[in-house]
Amino acid sequence: MLPIEFSALLASSIHDIKNSLGALRALLAQLENFYIDQKPTELKHLNFEANRMNNSLMQLLILYKIDLSQFSPTIDEHRAGEILEDIAAQQSTLLSLGNVQLITQCDNELLCYCDNTLISSALCTLVNNAQRYCLTKVLLSATQEGDYVVFCIEDDGYGYPENLISSDYKQLPQMDLSTGNTGLGLFFTDTIAKFHVQGEKSGFITTDNNSQFGGARFKLYLP
Amino acid sequence: MTINFASKKILVVEDQPIMRETIKHILVTFGARFIVEAESGVNAITAMKIDKFDIVLCDYNLLRGKNGQQVLEEARYLKLLPISAIFIMVTGEQNLEMVLSAIDNKPDDYLIKPFNQQQLIIRIERCHARKQYLRSIDTKIDSGSFFQAIQSCEQLLQLNDKKMHLPLLKLRAELAIKVGDFISAEAIYEAILLERELPWARCGLGVVAVLLNFYDQAIETFQKLIKQYPIMLEAYDWIVKAYESLGDNESALSSINLAVELSPMSILRQKKLALLADKTENLQLAKKAYTAIIKLGKDSIHRSSADYAGLASVYLKSNAPNEALKIVYELDKQFRNDPEARLRSALLESRIYQAKDNKSLAQQAYGKAFKLNEEYSKQISRELRLEMAKTLYLNGNIESCDEILNDLVKTNIDNKHFMQDIVVMCDAIISEDYAGSLIQEIKKELAEINNEGVNLFQVGDIKGALDIFNLAITKMPCNHTINLNLIRIMIHELKASDYSREKILRTQTCINKAIEIGVPHIQLISLQKALDSCDSENFR
Repeated sequence: MLPIEFSALLASSIHDIKNSLGALRALLAQLENFYIDQKPTELKHLNFEANRMNNSLMQLLILYKIDLSQFSPTIDEHRAGEILEDIAAQQSTLLSLGNVQLITQCDNELLCYCDNTLISSALCTLVNNAQRYCLTKVLLSATQEGDYVVFCIEDDGYGYPENLISSDYKQLPQMDLSTGNTGLGLFFTDTIAKFHVQGEKSGFITTDNNSQFGGARFKLYLP
Repeated sequence: MTINFASKKILVVEDQPIMRETIKHILVTFGARFIVEAESGVNAITAMKIDKFDIVLCDYNLLRGKNGQQVLEEARYLKLLPISAIFIMVTGEQNLEMVLSAIDNKPDDYLIKPFNQQQLIIRIERCHARKQYLRSIDTKIDSGSFFQAIQSCEQLLQLNDKKMHLPLLKLRAELAIKVGDFISAEAIYEAILLERELPWARCGLGVVAVLLNFYDQAIETFQKLIKQYPIMLEAYDWIVKAYESLGDNESALSSINLAVELSPMSILRQKKLALLADKTENLQLAKKAYTAIIKLGKDSIHRSSADYAGLASVYLKSNAPNEALKIVYELDKQFRNDPEARLRSALLESRIYQAKDNKSLAQQAYGKAFKLNEEYSKQISRELRLEMAKTLYLNGNIESCDEILNDLVKTNIDNKHFMQDIVVMCDAIISEDYAGSLIQEIKKELAEINNEGVNLFQVGDIKGALDIFNLAITKMPCNHTINLNLIRIMIHELKASDYSREKILRTQTCINKAIEIGVPHIQLISLQKALDSCDSENFR
C-alpha cells in the first residue's frame, strides 16, 4: 500500500510531465525555425503528438479536479466565431505543415454561453483526431438549432469505429489497441458539456457517420 | 480589425530566454519594430518608466522577485500604463489558483502557454479591437468622470450591436455601482438573469444587496453561488463583507479563510484574513496570515509597516514579547525613513516593555511616540492616530488625546465604520458616552459653519459663501454636506454668469470627488444634470 492516494500521485506526475512537455514544445518551435522553406514531415508528426499529449494531460487534470469537486466552469457569453477561430489558430502550426484542410463555418453574429477555454480545448482534441483520421478535409462549424448552439466536426475519412458510436459516453469505451483510440476526448467533452445548463436543458454530444463528406460526424450541443 | 504592429511599442516580460526569443520572433514577423525585453518584474517596471508601452505581454511565473500580477498592480498604481494599453498575462497552464488571485487589477486578457503565432496575434487583435470600441468610456473612467462614462456607455448601447450588448450592460451596471446608483445596477442584473443564469450577473445582484444593506439576502445569494462555483473568489470577498456588516466576524473569518486557500498569492485577501483572525482572537491563524503577507509584501506595492506591527502585536498577545520585539526590529530595519512606521514601532515597543515590566524602557518608547506624533500627525493614517490617542490617554495625557479625537471626528464624520471604531475605543478606555457627545458637538459646529455659508448665499453674498465652504473643505475634505453645498453654490454661480469652460471643469472635478468620497447618488444626480445643462457645449 502507498501512503498517499494514487490519484494524487498521478496528478503530481501529470504536472511534471506537462512541464517537460512545455519545454519540449518550445524546443520544437525553435527547431522549426531552422527550416525556412521545406519543413520535414517528421515535424508534423512531432507537433501532432505533442499537441495530443498536452491536451490529454490537461483534460486529465480537469477530470481529476471534477472528481474532487474542486472544479466549476466559468460560464459567460462568447462569440461562437471566436471559439472556432481559436481552434483553427491552435491547429495552424500543424495545418501549415500538412495537406489537410480545416474549414470553419459560422454566422458572425452567433453567440453562445459556455466556458470558452474548456470548450475550445475539448474541441481541439476532437479536431486533432479528425485531422488524423480524415483523408483531405475537416469541417468545423457552429449553428443555432432550436435552443442549442451546435458545434459540429465532420471529416471525409472512414468514419468512427462501431465502439465510438454510442448514446452512452459515460462509459469509457473499450480501448481499441489496433487504432490506439481510447475515446478519452469524447468522454471529456461529454463530461464538460453536462456542466452547461440553462433551465431544464443541459449540454450533450452525439457521434455518427453521417458527415456530409462521408466520414465521421461529431456534434456538441450547448443550451 | 487588424493592428499596425510597426507603430506599437511592445514590452515582453519573460524569464525564459527561449520563450522571449520565440515571442519576439513572432512579433517581428508581424511587423513589430519597437520591442523591449525584460527578464524580471523589476526590469519591466523600469522599462515602463522609460517608455509608454501600447502592448505588454507579461509572464505570470517569473522566476525571481515579482510575479506578473505584482507587475500589473505596480504598473497601474504608478500609472505607468496608458489607458489604451493592452496588458496580456501569459500563464504556464490553466492553473486557476494563480490566475484567479487578482482582486481588482485584472489584465485585459490571459494567454495560456503553449501558444503559436496565430494564437498570440489573435489575442492581441481582439484586445485591441475591444479597447478601441470602449475607448470613449475608458477615457472618462480614467479621469474620474463617471457620470460622463455612463453617458458614453448609453450611447454605445443605443448602437444595438448584438455582440457588444451584454459586455456593455455589464460595464453599465458596474458604473452605476461606482456612482452609488445601486437601484439601476440591480435592475440591469435582474433583467440579464431573467434571460439567462450567468454567474457574474448573479454575483452582481449579491453585491448590490450588500450595498443596499440587505445582508441576509446577499449571504443567501453568495452561499448558493459558492456551492455551485466553488472557485468564484469574488463571491467569497463579498460574503465576507456581508458577514462583517452583520457583526458576524466568525463566519467572515471562515469564508475569507477558504478564499485564501484558493488564492494564497493574493496579499489583499491575506490581509483581510489576518485582521479578522486578529479580531476574533484566532492568534495562530493571524500569525500564519501576517507571516504570509510579509513574505508576499517583499515584491508588492501593498507592502506596509502595519503588517509587521500586526504580527508583533499577535506575538505580544500570545505572551511572546521577545518574538514581538524581534519583529519590531525588523520593522525598523525595513522602513527606516517612514514616520508612520517609526510611530508604529515606538507604540509597540512601549507596549512590549510594559508587558516585560520594564518601566523605564516603556517610558522611553512612549516619549519617542509622543514626539513623532507631534511632528508628523498629518501624515499618519487615521487608524494609527486612533491608536496613538488611546496610548496618550492611558499615559495620562488627556489633552493631547482630546486633540487627536477631535480632529479625527471632524475629518471623518461621514465614515460610519470609523466613527464606530472611535466609539468602541472610547467606551472601553475613557467612558460610555464620551465619543457620543464629542460627535454631537462636532456635528453642531459643522451645522453652524454650514448655516453661515447658506445664509450668506441666501442674502446674495455668493463670494462670501464660496469662501466659507472652500475654507471648510480644506479642514474637512471628506465631509459630504460641505462638498454638496460647495457644488450647489458653484452651479448657481455658473448659471448666473457667462459661460466658462474652466469653471465647468472645476465643478465637474468637485462632483467627481464627491463620488469618490461616497456622497449618495440621489444627492448628486440632480447636480450633475444641472451642470450638464450649464454646459451648452457638452458634446464638443
